[in-house]
Amino acid sequence: MKTKFLIAGRLALGLIFVVAAYAKLKAPWLVFAGSLNDFGILPESWLEPVARTLPWAELALGLALISGIWQRWFALIAALILGLFFSVMVRSYAMGLKIDCGCFGPGEQLGPITLLRDFSMLALAIAVTIFSFRKPQIPADAEAEIAVA
Amino acid sequence: MRISLLFLPACLISGLVLFAQTPAAPKAATVKPVSTKAAAPVNYKEMGNPSARVTFEAYTDYECPHCAIFFRDVMPQIMAQYVETGKVKFVHRDFPLNQIHQWAQLAARYANAAGEIGQYDLAVNQIFKTQDSWSRTGNIEAELVKVLPPGAMQKVRELVKSDPNLDASIKKDVDMAMNVDHVPSTPTVVIVSKGKREVISSALPFSVWKSYLDKKLAE
Repeated sequence: MKTKFLIAGRLALGLIFVVAAYAKLKAPWLVFAGSLNDFGILPESWLEPVARTLPWAELALGLALISGIWQRWFALIAALILGLFFSVMVRSYAMGLKIDCGCFGPGEQLGPITLLRDFSMLALAIAVTIFSFRKPQIPADAEAEIAVA
Repeated sequence: MRISLLFLPACLISGLVLFAQTPAAPKAATVKPVSTKAAAPVNYKEMGNPSARVTFEAYTDYECPHCAIFFRDVMPQIMAQYVETGKVKFVHRDFPLNQIHQWAQLAARYANAAGEIGQYDLAVNQIFKTQDSWSRTGNIEAELVKVLPPGAMQKVRELVKSDPNLDASIKKDVDMAMNVDHVPSTPTVVIVSKGKREVISSALPFSVWKSYLDKKLAE
């Protein structure tokens, strides 16, 4: 059950990051720079570099999660990134900003639904990270063999 | 085991909400060929080299605070470095958000009336510059009187009262905003280059526009 959850959770997270990256990459980088600017947290000189690199980083992270390599570390990175996104969104929402979420490309206003969605993704990333860092359980049949020996 | 059961609904909610919310074709960043239905702007709303390879179209609402900031902080530099040097053509389009801004349409009428008599830039800049004052009272004329000569002001006054073309010009821009560019908010800039329209809905700082326009012009 735990193994199945880990695989499903990892694949779901990976897919989410790939979809998010694709939505940003298919539009001009200026569009994502606009979303970043609306949040008002980055200095002006950071807008272009972040808008140009973050979608590629999301794509790489998504593919890494899907492939399963260094699962625990990539799951941890995903949880940290989603935690950062979620806290920035909560801050902007609390400030009453009527802005685009920018999460999956433009045209989606920040609101309770986007916050719920990102919280769910963050919860999933945390769960996958916690389970990945726990020692793998010994399968029942292996335990029986150990007992016989 | 129990914890994993708790997080499974979270996973499902994530997936469902994600796919329910992800727009199939994000409207605000649609990049598409120039439509033949695109409304030609009235001439006084166009500035710069008519044959420039890149066009910078700005949809604004005169009562929108971000538009006023955009016109104060960004547009003078765009005009000086790109439009007046012939690199980029500029088109100003009206997109009054009448549901939330009661004087936006009237302000656009005043600006366009000034445009009809060759005073468009002066009027537009004054309307944005004094937005704080007239947006409380609707007395746009009191601000324009300060910059327009008395004769010109009289003509503007008459045009605002009786010229039906002013609303028609605004409607053309609004139709284009709604049907071609799907403008979500103001200010929205459309970069037109190589037959494609890129819709960017944000009041980005000049340095970012500069970087983007320089790359567009170098393509």
